[in-house]
Amino acid sequence: MEIIENDKVKEKLYIEKLENGLTVMIIPRKNTIKKYIIFGTHFGSNDNKFILPGESEEKSVPDGIAHFLEHKMFEQKSGINSLDTLTAMGVSANAYTTNDHTAYLYEATENFYEALDEFMDYVQNPYYTDENVEKEKGIIAQEINMYEDYPEWQTYLNAIKCMYKNFPVRIDIAGSVESIGKITKEMLYLCYDNFYTPSNMGIAICGDFEPEKILEEIKKRIIKTENRELPKRIYPDEPDEINEKEKTVNMNLSNPIFTIGFKDKVEDDMVKKHIGLQVLMNTLFGKSSKLYKKLTDENILLGSFGMEYEFTPNYAFALINGVSREPKKVIEEVNKEIENAKQNGLNAEDFERNKKKIYGAYITEYNSVEETARNFLADYFKGINSFEYLDKYADVTKEYTEELLKSVLVENKEVYSIVN
Amino acid sequence: MEYSKKEIKKGITAHTIKTDSFKTDLMAVFLTTKLNRENVTKNAIIPMILRKGSAKFENAEEINKHLEEMYGAELDCGIDKTGDNQVLKFYVETIDDKYLTSKEDLLLKGINTLLDIAFNPKIQNNAFEKDYINTEKDKLKIIIEGKKDNKSMYANLRCQEEMFKETPFGLYKYGYIEDIDGINEKNLYEYYKKLIANCKIDIFVSGDINEEEVISEIKNDENIKKLNEREPVYNQKNMKLEKHEEREIIEKADVTQGNLVLGLSIDEESKKEKYVAVVYNAILGGSATSKMFQIVREKHSLAYTASSSFLRHKNCIFIKCGIEIENYKKTLDLIKEQIEDMKKGNFTDDDMANSKVRNNCTY
Repeated sequence: MEIIENDKVKEKLYIEKLENGLTVMIIPRKNTIKKYIIFGTHFGSNDNKFILPGESEEKSVPDGIAHFLEHKMFEQKSGINSLDTLTAMGVSANAYTTNDHTAYLYEATENFYEALDEFMDYVQNPYYTDENVEKEKGIIAQEINMYEDYPEWQTYLNAIKCMYKNFPVRIDIAGSVESIGKITKEMLYLCYDNFYTPSNMGIAICGDFEPEKILEEIKKRIIKTENRELPKRIYPDEPDEINEKEKTVNMNLSNPIFTIGFKDKVEDDMVKKHIGLQVLMNTLFGKSSKLYKKLTDENILLGSFGMEYEFTPNYAFALINGVSREPKKVIEEVNKEIENAKQNGLNAEDFERNKKKIYGAYITEYNSVEETARNFLADYFKGINSFEYLDKYADVTKEYTEELLKSVLVENKEVYSIVN
Repeated sequence: MEYSKKEIKKGITAHTIKTDSFKTDLMAVFLTTKLNRENVTKNAIIPMILRKGSAKFENAEEINKHLEEMYGAELDCGIDKTGDNQVLKFYVETIDDKYLTSKEDLLLKGINTLLDIAFNPKIQNNAFEKDYINTEKDKLKIIIEGKKDNKSMYANLRCQEEMFKETPFGLYKYGYIEDIDGINEKNLYEYYKKLIANCKIDIFVSGDINEEEVISEIKNDENIKKLNEREPVYNQKNMKLEKHEEREIIEKADVTQGNLVLGLSIDEESKKEKYVAVVYNAILGGSATSKMFQIVREKHSLAYTASSSFLRHKNCIFIKCGIEIENYKKTLDLIKEQIEDMKKGNFTDDDMANSKVRNNCTY
């Protein structure tokens, strides 16, 4: 096993690629009661079109299929749902789907190895029938409806729809009631067989483990020894330009919410860019900024700004969100502040302080075994080792951050989404 | 993990939890006071005012700069209701010094900041800062008006309000719009002084700490020295609930999904019953093996969210479901069938065992 040590957060990553191509990452953590494992595949809601190995024709599957498949993985031939089996053992099991990956997980304080039998077995054994696929449609339709009523999700998704014209990140992860209606068991098997192949998958484990021992336990439970060639994913061409400037919807909120998005480009060093943008946005809009003081003293902004930078190897964007009775006014002020900073540069003291803040935030991410394992897995699918965030932190200078200000926070890449 | 507690003064307790499982140290101050109609709104606004500035830190910007200098320590101030009490909560969380290259004493700085915010407000002419009062009054109004924005949370709140009508627990933790106008910098400060003189005070510090050092830091803190001994005034547990006939409350809103909440009160209130209720809830709706999940969600595909939770402080169970509005009657009947099933004892030894092993691990 390769061992990567980080002296800042004082953690070690043990990493091994098994013979079948599966990558296992172990982050041992002494003195924790909870043990956590997450098993994921690099297949998410964006992967709706692909060409199978040896074929030439493009295959297209309905929106929301990765998420649908996630729901159906718990189904077993015996008729006993794996989620029930795991729950009965007293472990807490779950699963989720993102734009670029799907993951299955559980946390345990007892019965970890018993649960591991069931867990490794169900992720490696699909069982879909016409009947169990049909039954799931009603449940997922309610999940989709639930998100329809979440203003936060709507403003987020609308901002992405404003930025992206073609790229599937603009589609709801769960799809639509209409699209999932078309899903069949054959389509699920097609996706499973082609994307749940060991070299496309990873496991991350965090808790009080002996790395060698847990690795052996994983190996014992590997079913698939053969590795299959991966399909070629087809993504539509996406212009650099934004799709539309603005989207406003009405949900009768007494306190409207807004999201400002900046469509960005993928570059070589995305980790450094991510750190830089976090420091930048916090310096401009964080809780000690002039703008924050002004907007909260007048109660134009309620609570604080949320700031995020999201990326995969295919796309990248920055988001600023918040709650305000006058979202247009906030957007105007944010834009003024950006222009002002472009003219005058960042204040050195503010920059250094916010850089310290971001360092603290990266260290804090290692507080929980769940977050640690999830981060390592999600970053792995992007080709990143999570420690890089701490290693590259020192490389982010004020000059570099000011360059980002000029290249990323630009008017013609900016979109607004408001839910009233 | 080692827990110990020490009474600093009568009515003021310091709790320490020594653990090296985390990257951060966490400290908190809880002020517990009676929940009642008269003071609910005042209690809700106090943490908001204190967060705006202290005698040491002129304004929120200064506080926030100080926290950012501490590698982004988090300060959180808020209000909660626990049973028939209202709890004003203040937290500071900071990374532990061992993850820094230099010694910064972040733990001690954190304790000092926390105590300063809670007990050393910015005062002028024997009153809170007027500007802060005005902005925070507006803000509280906005928060209360926003009660309906999250529909599932709102349905929960409405169910509690109806079940606990005319009793403290039926009050909204943020208070009421009509109280806000009457609050001013003078009367709120008078109230605050009374509050900190009489409430139950608990101070918690957890992390890779030296307990003695922490206790001595708290004891010798100027703000703590100023506090008097007290016989704390707060409500003891009250589980009794008037018996009600079944009542149905329907509110219409322009939504995609309907939110159905059922509140059930438990008659018994012995200590043993509490454990029975935990197991009962686990079988009814507390997990993926429960009746709610298995029957309402998996068998009938009526919902994605279908669960129940046991509210220990009030001896109640709340069932919640997100459904198609047209399926309301059908879902309600199905849920009632599940409750009836529980009454008849239609659950297996496995159900019992499952819910017990689950509770062992969770609590």
